[in-house]
Amino acid sequence: MAAAPRDVFIVCNNADDMGGLQRWAHHMARRLAERGDRVTLVGITRGDLPHHHDRDGSYAVEVLHRVWRPPVLAWRPATAAQRLNVAARTRGAWRAAAQRRGAARLSELFAGARPGAVVIAAQVWAMEWVRRADTSGLRVVAMSHESFEATRASSRYKRVKEHYADADRMLVLTAEDADAWARAGMTNADYVPNPVHVTPDVHPTLDLPVVACVGRLSYEKGVDLLLEAWERVAARHPGWRLHVYGAGPDEERLREQAASLGSVEFRGVIADVEEALVEASVFALPSRAEGFPMSVLEAMAYGLPTVAFDCAPGVRTLIEDGRGGVLVPPGDTALFAKELERLMEDPELRRALGAEARASVLRFHPDAVLARWDRLFDLLHRDRPSGAPERAARSVPVTEPAARSDSF
Amino acid sequence: MRPDVSVVVIAYNDARRLPRAVGSALAQSLGGVETVVVDDASTDGTAEIADRLAAAHPGRIRAVHLPENSGGCGRPRNTGIEASTGRYVMFLDSDDLLDRHACLNLLAAAEDTGADIVSGLCDRIFLDVPVGVKGRVRAWYPWLYRNRAVYEALDDNPDLLYDTLSTNKAYRRGFLEEHDLRFVEQLHYEDLLFTAEAYLASGRTALIPHRVYNWLVRERTLDPSISNRRAELANFADRLEIHRRIDRLFEARGAHALGQAKDVKFVNHDLMLYLRELRDREESYRARFLDLAAGYLAGLDPHVFEEANPLSAIAAYLIREGDHAGALAAAEYDPAGRAELRARLVERDGRVFWGASGPSGSLGHRVLDVTGFGFHVRPLKELRPANTVTRLEVRDGRVRMAGHMLNPLNRIGPDAALSGTLEFRDRRGRAPRGRVPAAVRYEGDRIGWRAEFDPRRRIRPVGFVDPVWDVRLRLRVDGEEIVTRPGPGPGAPPLDGAAALPVRPRLTRFAADRLRSYVTEGGHLAFALEAGSPWARRAGTAARRAVRSRAGRLAWRHTGRRARRAKKGVRAALTSKKTKTAVFNRVLSRLPVKPAVAVFESHMGRQFSDNPKYIYRELRRSGRHVDAVWSYASSREGFPGDARLVRRGTWAYYLALARARYWVDNQGFPDGLRKRPETTYIQTWHGSAFKLMGLDQPRLKHGPAADRAKLRRMVERFDCFLVRSGHDVETLCAGLGVRSELLATGYPRNDPLVNGLDGDPELAAEVAALRRALGLDDGRRAVLYAPTFATGPRGRPVRLLDPPVDPDVFARELGEEAVLLVRPHYLCRANVPPGARAVMRDVGRVPDVTPLLLLADALVTDHSSIMFDFALLDRPIVLHLPDGRDLAPGYFDLERHAPGPVTRTEDELVAALAALDDAAPGHAARRRAFAARFGEHDRGSAARAVVERYFPTSRTVRGREHHGRRTA
Repeated sequence: MAAAPRDVFIVCNNADDMGGLQRWAHHMARRLAERGDRVTLVGITRGDLPHHHDRDGSYAVEVLHRVWRPPVLAWRPATAAQRLNVAARTRGAWRAAAQRRGAARLSELFAGARPGAVVIAAQVWAMEWVRRADTSGLRVVAMSHESFEATRASSRYKRVKEHYADADRMLVLTAEDADAWARAGMTNADYVPNPVHVTPDVHPTLDLPVVACVGRLSYEKGVDLLLEAWERVAARHPGWRLHVYGAGPDEERLREQAASLGSVEFRGVIADVEEALVEASVFALPSRAEGFPMSVLEAMAYGLPTVAFDCAPGVRTLIEDGRGGVLVPPGDTALFAKELERLMEDPELRRALGAEARASVLRFHPDAVLARWDRLFDLLHRDRPSGAPERAARSVPVTEPAARSDSF
Repeated sequence: MRPDVSVVVIAYNDARRLPRAVGSALAQSLGGVETVVVDDASTDGTAEIADRLAAAHPGRIRAVHLPENSGGCGRPRNTGIEASTGRYVMFLDSDDLLDRHACLNLLAAAEDTGADIVSGLCDRIFLDVPVGVKGRVRAWYPWLYRNRAVYEALDDNPDLLYDTLSTNKAYRRGFLEEHDLRFVEQLHYEDLLFTAEAYLASGRTALIPHRVYNWLVRERTLDPSISNRRAELANFADRLEIHRRIDRLFEARGAHALGQAKDVKFVNHDLMLYLRELRDREESYRARFLDLAAGYLAGLDPHVFEEANPLSAIAAYLIREGDHAGALAAAEYDPAGRAELRARLVERDGRVFWGASGPSGSLGHRVLDVTGFGFHVRPLKELRPANTVTRLEVRDGRVRMAGHMLNPLNRIGPDAALSGTLEFRDRRGRAPRGRVPAAVRYEGDRIGWRAEFDPRRRIRPVGFVDPVWDVRLRLRVDGEEIVTRPGPGPGAPPLDGAAALPVRPRLTRFAADRLRSYVTEGGHLAFALEAGSPWARRAGTAARRAVRSRAGRLAWRHTGRRARRAKKGVRAALTSKKTKTAVFNRVLSRLPVKPAVAVFESHMGRQFSDNPKYIYRELRRSGRHVDAVWSYASSREGFPGDARLVRRGTWAYYLALARARYWVDNQGFPDGLRKRPETTYIQTWHGSAFKLMGLDQPRLKHGPAADRAKLRRMVERFDCFLVRSGHDVETLCAGLGVRSELLATGYPRNDPLVNGLDGDPELAAEVAALRRALGLDDGRRAVLYAPTFATGPRGRPVRLLDPPVDPDVFARELGEEAVLLVRPHYLCRANVPPGARAVMRDVGRVPDVTPLLLLADALVTDHSSIMFDFALLDRPIVLHLPDGRDLAPGYFDLERHAPGPVTRTEDELVAALAALDDAAPGHAARRRAFAARFGEHDRGSAARAVVERYFPTSRTVRGREHHGRRTA
């Protein structure tokens, strides 16, 4: 069934940083635009290091606030003493006023939408604006791009429960995460995986003695664990090298840790992941926490076998039943080393897993993922039974009276 | 256009709530929803409401009226199915609510999976419980709905039969038509039969974890009348009839296994539901009910009793056998909950059985066997034996009370030292406010108590603010305390309102003048403060009116509640560990150090044992002047009399630590405490490592950085760390990140293992006494079984450790030559059946393991570090590593380096134990290599070496504050 063209708004915290979320947003916008949807990509504010993201003009990009100077988070006094804090109260009022202006701008954008339009709030901070905007006649989809566990462990959990409760749909990346949210009382929880956003022309030969790891050099990405595992492997395989791509706060410490090994190369940030992947034979994901790791998606698309810690439902979904890679219990560096070694020693196994990975990743082909989105849009806009008037008084999912009056 | 989902709302005389239910169907986030209201010939205007709703929402709501009342839910629902057109059908009762996304979620799952039935979670909302209070929302069989699932047939998951609600599901219309599925119309519990038929017919059933249905429950507040009770009996008969029909249905399909699964569910769920309410019913009702139940249970496959939950099975079995008291007691007893043990237990053939009469027949033996619950080994207070009041009367202003507590399995012996106190307490207060000594007497299978007192002097309520008073009996048995709550029971006089205790409230007798007895919902005796004289009644009314007035409410809200919360908050804040840690670091650590004080702690204060004990003994032996302070966790029993004892976590404990010159410990003093530089921390540790330690554990590697930092802070405090071998340095010290001085002396606790008992008469006496206490002087070999703890399904330690060999087998095969000493990990308790006393002993209570090692002739363990110590004795070791118990990765290949034979099964273990002597020469070399490798530094002089290294011999060196840090 070919879907009728729709108006789609994708609202992110910012639309031009160099992160995975922005890559997803631009890719999604391009794909939807390609088949005729009218897409507007909205950034609440600008990113710190703007990036172009191969924009081709097929979709509009808007920014609500050139800069965001008010406090990042809303002021929530917990005690009577805090309530008396005049400075904080003033900052809170300043924030609310600025947010109202942004939301009014958003309402203007939404007002031009044709029936059947959808708003996708990609992050919980951006959702604050969407909730304050007038979304009557539209359907609001709120997304969380990380695992339930990661959200549960952070302050975002409370904000997600508050701001996403009224959304028509709350989307996470895997079925397991959606179930966890449903158990936590979010009955609008559903899932759509991220699509593969690379189309490889060349593939690695899987003969070069290189293990690659791509990610920010920070604690949650676990590169220190990879170096620990590498320490057990390196001596027995002197020809092999470990390529670590990325930058981050832990870089110095990691370089120090790797100094004695000799076979580790820190290669910094790269613009095109292809360079990194085609000259590797094994991909390593030593993360402590993940959502739906794009790097594994890419590695699989390029036909690289992956060794990963079983740290999140997203990783389990990608490497389902060990197809295209190997999962290791979180933190077990000895086993991680053993699995790396098994792949390093066996080119046939690499080829077999690599081929599996390329086949398996088709589950996340953009067409397949877009079909899931279409089904969702279709469900959200199912018609009323015959004779029923089109929702004259649809309850606007906004609870704060202040926000409602702002919208008009 | 055809709607996607039809919601059939059935209503009978519910005009008030119908609009709310229909509103929840109208508010669905799914567009294509049609609502059909079926009015079951109501007489209260429900019909008009339904028509009005339909008129207001043409095309979305339709109203259907039955010509005459059907008396059930079956016909209205069937009518609704016929009258609706949606591709999927759902049912909603007029007093319940759909979740906003229910239709969308169910439809999406149905279309994704192609299922005939999609089912979502149902929440029961108890309206009597205030919003925000725990227990208001309780999910219905949440374990079925943890994750989304698709089942091709009922056989894939017979547990579906637990969820017999018809309402939290969407049914494909075509499916209902093809199988001609309709509700039965003459009987109650039509849901049960309908869902059973539907599950059985369904080609595919999908489950989603999303809540779809809110079942609003209003607990009955008034006692139903007699006629209602008779109606309930008829209901139960209906329920049994439905079950018989389901049985026939399964039988007709040849689904024997499903029938059995359904019967197990009947025993676990349906029967328990009724039994738990039965105690409040009068005798005739109870008898009739149990008759009905027995009739149905008689037809069940005996296999069902073995499949059902143990206590439910016992209840069902005893109903069948006619032991009603035992059955009710089983239905009410919940080992994990708060319920009490009301049943008699008997010991037969070395096993423990439920019920007064003991088992008969092989099925009875299997079902009634409760040895696994550990009633014979668990502390009495954990069992919560029932306490029955047999006398409650007031005469001449004096109260006479008496009663008896169950003495399960005669656990309390005739010569036990008994004393008791009756405690009266204001339900809202924390501490008892009236205490009365009670005379306690041993009476065989129960413990009798009685008390006589003047309530006016013993109980002083305030008046108005403390309207409810509870009673407890605190019983002391040989130092152990058991607190029970007396209540009604067989042989009890009527307690409800029977007695009025005269009292003098502190707010004078205008507040109230007596305490009237009543029985709480939990089945315990309590008293309500009431006013007898007209003056007091008037005062009470005035007081209540004042409180309820606007001003009173305001005052209560603004001062009372806040004051109480503040008081509670202040108390919690002042005694919290956080406060104590902060005060320790900022204040206490600035007080001068007392140069002779040494704080000792073993296993977080659990025992007087291990390395700290042997260092302490050496200090005493050598006559050094040391003010020893021992920390204890809960009981002072077993700790030395010549040391000062402080309870772990108290202010005294923190003060002692702050001013101590030495810390001696084998595990860890509270984290967060900054050790001052003047204090020397001797960390002895408690065993060599096989399992990964500290930062070597995957859990820590994977976990947040804060956990590593915490470990680092704790380990950085060590000034000295005892090691037994190079293995310790490579594993323990590396894993924990120890950077202090490593003292290669071996373990003080192992000195006696190396030296023997000859030079240590004190310890020799201790071992001899232990040997006598355990009755080990009959020449049989003592085999010590000491495994580490096993983790249960939820990752928690298993609480009861069973012997590795069935006691009967052990007695038959090894009984002549060996006695098994079962030593559980300190987190568990040994469950040695009573019949095994001839061949097994529970040595879990022995605080220090060293004497046990000394008297053991052989050791059976798994991967416990005890093997590293026992190897020093050069006596046989068997490693029993049953299959299925997953071995966490260790530092070396245990099987390859094992100090003795490795066994996997019970038979292998028995064979290995029987052949210890024959196999000895073969294993001796391995054992010695093992001891040499892991006990490299154990030379029998560890305690002396530690003491000489850190504790000065005379007072002359006391001035040197940093003695412990200098290298020798």
